[in-house]
Amino acid sequence: MTRNAEASLLAAAAVLAGLGVALVNFASGVGFDAQAALTLLVFVLSFGSVHLVMRRWAPTANPYLFPLGAFLAAIGYIEVYRLDRDLAALQLWSLLIAGGMASLLLFTLRDEGVAALRRYRYIFLVVAVGLLMLPLLPEDWPIHGAEVFGSRLWVRADLPFGNRTLSFQPGEIAKLLLAIFLASYLADRHMAMATGRKLGPVHIPDPRHIFPVVIAAAASFLVLIYQRDLGASLLLFALFIGMMYIATARPFYLITGVVFVGVGGLIAYRLFDHVQRRVAAWLHPFDDFTDTGYQIAQSLFALGSGSLTGSGLGLGRPDLIPAAATDFVFAAVGEEMGLAGSIAVITAYALLIAAGFGIALRARDVFRKFLAAGLTLVIGMQAFLIIAGVTRLLPVTGITLPFMSYGGSSLLANMILLTLLARISHGERA
Amino acid sequence: MNGPIRQLATALFVGLAVLVAAVTWIQVVQANEFRDDPRNTRVITARVGRERGTIITADGVVAAMSAPNQDDPQVFTRQYPEGDLYAHVVGYSTALFGDTGIEASRAAELTSDRDSTISGVINALLGGDLRPQGLRLTVDHALQTTAYEALAGQIGAVVAIDPTTGAVLAMASNPTFDPNLLTGFNAGPQGAALENDPDRPLLNRAAQETYNPGSTFKTVTAAAALESGVAGPATPFPNEFRVELPGSTATISNAGGRRCGDGATVTLTTAFVLSCNTVFAVLGIEVGPEALVGQAEALGFNTEPATTDFRAVASAIPEAASFENADAALAQTAIGERDVRATPLQMAIIAATVANGGQLMEPYLVAEVFNADAEVEETSAPTPLGRAFSPATAEALSEMMEGVVTSGTGQRATVSGVRIGGKTGTAETPGDAPHAWFIGYGPVDAAPGEPQIAIAVLIESGGAVGATATGGTLAAPIARAVLAEFFSNGS
Repeated sequence: MTRNAEASLLAAAAVLAGLGVALVNFASGVGFDAQAALTLLVFVLSFGSVHLVMRRWAPTANPYLFPLGAFLAAIGYIEVYRLDRDLAALQLWSLLIAGGMASLLLFTLRDEGVAALRRYRYIFLVVAVGLLMLPLLPEDWPIHGAEVFGSRLWVRADLPFGNRTLSFQPGEIAKLLLAIFLASYLADRHMAMATGRKLGPVHIPDPRHIFPVVIAAAASFLVLIYQRDLGASLLLFALFIGMMYIATARPFYLITGVVFVGVGGLIAYRLFDHVQRRVAAWLHPFDDFTDTGYQIAQSLFALGSGSLTGSGLGLGRPDLIPAAATDFVFAAVGEEMGLAGSIAVITAYALLIAAGFGIALRARDVFRKFLAAGLTLVIGMQAFLIIAGVTRLLPVTGITLPFMSYGGSSLLANMILLTLLARISHGERA
Repeated sequence: MNGPIRQLATALFVGLAVLVAAVTWIQVVQANEFRDDPRNTRVITARVGRERGTIITADGVVAAMSAPNQDDPQVFTRQYPEGDLYAHVVGYSTALFGDTGIEASRAAELTSDRDSTISGVINALLGGDLRPQGLRLTVDHALQTTAYEALAGQIGAVVAIDPTTGAVLAMASNPTFDPNLLTGFNAGPQGAALENDPDRPLLNRAAQETYNPGSTFKTVTAAAALESGVAGPATPFPNEFRVELPGSTATISNAGGRRCGDGATVTLTTAFVLSCNTVFAVLGIEVGPEALVGQAEALGFNTEPATTDFRAVASAIPEAASFENADAALAQTAIGERDVRATPLQMAIIAATVANGGQLMEPYLVAEVFNADAEVEETSAPTPLGRAFSPATAEALSEMMEGVVTSGTGQRATVSGVRIGGKTGTAETPGDAPHAWFIGYGPVDAAPGEPQIAIAVLIESGGAVGATATGGTLAAPIARAVLAEFFSNGS
């Protein structure tokens, strides 16, 4: 039975996380302590709860989604733990919360499935845009935006007790809500959108049908560009274009998309210093080694030093890479686990994407098909963009690596994404 | 609808395949280039910047320690708080000049086992402690300081040993250097200056350079005579002021061209106390090459010292067969000239062996290995290396050596209240002032368990005195300073 396969794969991932933490401790001379057991326990609790809920209420869901997510989360968590024990402790809480939320969502959708979400699409749209605008709240408000590394994509809430601040990136959840909105909207309109005038070989859609989508897209991008979060802008744009292409099968959307990305990229390059710096660092990372090129140069040094088999956990110097626990976690894995680790991670994403698109292909109704395809597109594009940035294939866009980067919002969003994919796959085919 | 999904999926898979190609290119083809890039500090800090254990002296003074860098706490800098005092004992661990001394010989303990070797992993699984271990040396800080103060301004070495165990109590070689100058990444010029210094400060003269031992070697000749029964302490020898060497035009005379005392004959003891070359030249021939070379080898000549704690070169004496029909060479060898060469360490071992009743002990520098919690994990056990001569011979030698200090050439080594035995040596160097030697030990009448010390002092080329320097005038006072320090604090 598939759920048993899932259980053993999840257990393997939990053991992997625990062993990884043990090895890191071993390397730092602490020897084996309770951290390894704690990590194992948290992985078992987090993914185990999702698994148990799925056994009861979505027993025929795809059994490979969560094991792949758990594998990536384990690899990522090991590196986060190796880089910063404090961040790792927070990440364990994030894992528990994300596991709990995913279980809760799965339970909530137990009768109707994702179809329940379809009718709330405009609420989701408004909430998504609202979430995207949250970081613009002034600094002196109790809930306010915060600028980190030149991008204003964080929201901080000063908790009423203690001196703690709760930080989150609303954009991570917003992208899921926008995917649901798009899937729902396109499911109703895709037939109409596919019709329209022909201009030579190119098909021009009726503006009436795409108007709401264009408005939604424009609003999202304006907000994101104002926040200077170009990675997320690019990701959302890819989501919009990709889903419209899937819904209509019209190359027009892809062509328009590429043109927009090109023009938008040029405008962004002209307008924003930090975009220019990133492009310069991408083209000539070693020319300005001590400043703009430092991060990408350190990333390449890390990957090169890791070579085939890596330095071994805890024995490399990924701490030299700026943002190694978040955006550049892939380089940290490449350094300490070598090419073997790098390819394992890319392969896991490939399998996840294959599973996601497989679910989309098999989905019987268009809403679920579009939603599954859109969610898979998001996770695939996100993984591709940041790994391409870390390996200098593309300029660095500053987005998290799904499941692997440190960050509660990202982890929560991606766990929910997997939950939606799993729920879509339930009942489609034995 | 499925068509576009398949196309987008294909596009993403192509993208991921490109990522695999890119990451393979970086981690395989370009790997060496990135790893060896001078701006990539990983390789060099991995080797140099790792934490190493603390090295302390017998009395707890820190000789070497690792301190985390302020801006990068994962990288450690090796520091030698006592500067040049332990440069030759502890050695150094550097980025540019490699490792020497204890830093090299005890690297296994001083560095952690936090590597991915099978044995390291098994050790960790069994609950082993992976932190670097520390070392407690046998060297005493006060003694080491005194040795260097006594050597100041002269080229030479002092070695002090506990005769009953072989533990090295002091090992000084002058000129010395500050190992802190060599640890950094930009230490190239300083290192080159030290390497090119004509006084060779990097050389540990105590254990890595051999010299003609001069008259201190008469201890070996006397031991061979006593052991073989050729002569006893009271055996009379003709009192000549010069002997002609058989089969040769060369002669051997006593220091200053004098006779040895007043009588027509002189006992072996008197000849030893007054260091008569004429008697020992004759004695060497009487003892014969087999017994003399055999005795020297029993004391460690022609073998690299067994110690694993530091690098020491072998002292040398030509093989017995080479003295066949070469009595002249044998006679010169018997008084420590010609082709016999010894390190100060070897000569200290000879004195220690007399003190220890003929039992040779392996010299060692590390007393204890302790873990990061300062708990002793391993205590060095003294290693007997065999018997060099009988207790009776040791007893006879002991009396003769005490005579050297009470009434002979070594009176300047006298320490009030302690019976000291010794032997001086003044080794001729062609075209230069002689090397001055003193070997000795005390107390001669040590009760079992009472602290004992054996010492060798060498000063190259007349030291501060010049051509008129002798072992008795130049080396014996240095030995006295160290012996007095040893007995003053009762340690």
